[in-house]
Amino acid sequence: MVSHGLVLDLVERVGTVARHGTVSVPLGEGDPEELAATVAAWCARSGNELVEVRGSRAVVRRGRSPDPLAELAPDLVPGTRLWMYTNFDCNLACDYCCVRSSPQSARRALGLDRVRRLATEALAAGVSELILTGGEPFLLPDIDELVTVCTAELPTTLLTNGMLFRGRRLEALRQMDRTQLALQISLDSATPEQHDGHRGRGSWERAVAGIRTAHDEGFRVRVAATLPYEQTHELAAFHTFLDSLGIAREDQVIRALAHRGAADNGIELTLESLIPEVTVTADGVYWHPVSADHDDQLVTRDIFPLQDAITEVRRRFTEQRAQATAAAQWFPCA
Amino acid sequence: MSKPLIVGAVAYTPNVVTIWEGIRDYFAGSASEMDFVLFSNYGRQVDSLIDGTIDLAWNTNLAWVRTVAQTDGACRALAMRDTDTVFRTVFVARTGSNLGGLDGLKGRRLALGSKDSAQAAILPVHFLDRNGPGADEVELLRIDSDVGKHGDTGRSELDALRAVLDERADAAAIGINTWEAIGREELMPGAFEAFWESPTYSHCNFTALPRVPEERTGPWLERLLAMDWDNPEHRPILEMEGLRRWVSPKLDGYASLVEAVKEQGISARW
Ligand code: SF4
Repeated sequence: MVSHGLVLDLVERVGTVARHGTVSVPLGEGDPEELAATVAAWCARSGNELVEVRGSRAVVRRGRSPDPLAELAPDLVPGTRLWMYTNFDCNLACDYCCVRSSPQSARRALGLDRVRRLATEALAAGVSELILTGGEPFLLPDIDELVTVCTAELPTTLLTNGMLFRGRRLEALRQMDRTQLALQISLDSATPEQHDGHRGRGSWERAVAGIRTAHDEGFRVRVAATLPYEQTHELAAFHTFLDSLGIAREDQVIRALAHRGAADNGIELTLESLIPEVTVTADGVYWHPVSADHDDQLVTRDIFPLQDAITEVRRRFTEQRAQATAAAQWFPCA
Repeated sequence: MSKPLIVGAVAYTPNVVTIWEGIRDYFAGSASEMDFVLFSNYGRQVDSLIDGTIDLAWNTNLAWVRTVAQTDGACRALAMRDTDTVFRTVFVARTGSNLGGLDGLKGRRLALGSKDSAQAAILPVHFLDRNGPGADEVELLRIDSDVGKHGDTGRSELDALRAVLDERADAAAIGINTWEAIGREELMPGAFEAFWESPTYSHCNFTALPRVPEERTGPWLERLLAMDWDNPEHRPILEMEGLRRWVSPKLDGYASLVEAVKEQGISARW
């Protein structure tokens, strides 16, 4: 039996706040499920929003919250891009690798069939760009085929450390579609010390050589640096160096080091602080590429149908933003 | 650009700020810009309309009737919400009470809202006299929890309903808006049933005095009436203010309240 005072309390308390404000209303005595259903029914009828039922209280927003997805810049809407982790194993063992890749990592490969199906379903789901990342994708013998099934559907970016463009791997690179593919090569500094300090001796030189090779082969090359947050504003020398390699300014990408995977420090990225980027690995669908090795950000083990995974990521993002907005209103800083 | 019209309204909930900022923004850039001033009660608002501090007042029906009385009928109503033309008072009791109508209240306890609420106090007494056993035959439990705001907060009506649930009263008289807000009989099965609904009467309106000429109020009114439910920019304002469209005032809808105020000797300053 629902306490009838509940609806009266809802009307009174919601009436005391401005539009989009939230109130916490005690549910009162009775069957918790029935009480929660009464609040939900009242909200639906009165044009207000049940944010959540927590313990013996319901949090209700006056009016309905704006759609968090509609408030995002269009290219940030989850599902605009699809990230795929092709393997996980790597020829390097960078000390800040967010997915702990190394030569010792077991290969967890998506494989050609799944990548092909993902590319096809991505196009149907309205994805506008595919992004392939490793570990190091050029360790895969069929990397050219993986890239080809992607570029056949959508513009694609391939992340690599750029160190393996020799022999058959260089041949594989040459097979790729230059009109649809961009390469994103990691380089952290204008001189070897910093880059090599994190990624291993000699790696800077080989990465720079890889950038030159890819560029000379006619590929669009993006260079991405991973830097401690405090260094992300001292970049003049780095940009000058990349200019000298012929990398366009818009293709010079700086990322702050994340405290994830093998990294001992870096900015904290949590489910709450990250706008999701749908990321598929052999193990399932993750919230964001920086957390593709962390179960706290696993969305689902079911990769297919891809549309369902994208829908689920969007649903969780919307729900989370609504709760965050409500929480922010509970703790106003005067 | 002429001076903006200053509209007065009573701040009965923080949402009033949001509503009037929305309305002000709607008029911004038009030929008839406006701003607003919020009052803590209708008495002060009507005083300020009469002394010229504000150009227009968003008045309840009681505030309108008092303005008419204090200006010898020189004031004019410009517009109201569609919902203001069909306002009703609903008499409710516990489900299964079978009071059958106002006569069923004879010798019983009726909870009324704040004494300056037309819908929950003044008109219910009037309806008991006209359509029922007479107010003298009913034990009235007056709950004055939001005096000054003419019942706008709805709080005294909710308190009247609580009195019924707590068996301190057999029935309560509330506005149709409160009845809708609690979901009528549907959201709380077994709680309340309506046993009498009054004839419709008029509720709020925008009131102006002759001092503000029609050349100034005309363009403003035209812009107000152009607010469109189907326009996504206008819609939130209309939803918050509880209407689908602004309409011309229905003045004969105030007759019952004019009579009630006279009969009950209602104070000019509420
Ligand atoms: S950061 Fe990149 S290159 Fe370094 S170990 Fe991880 S996957 Fe390999």
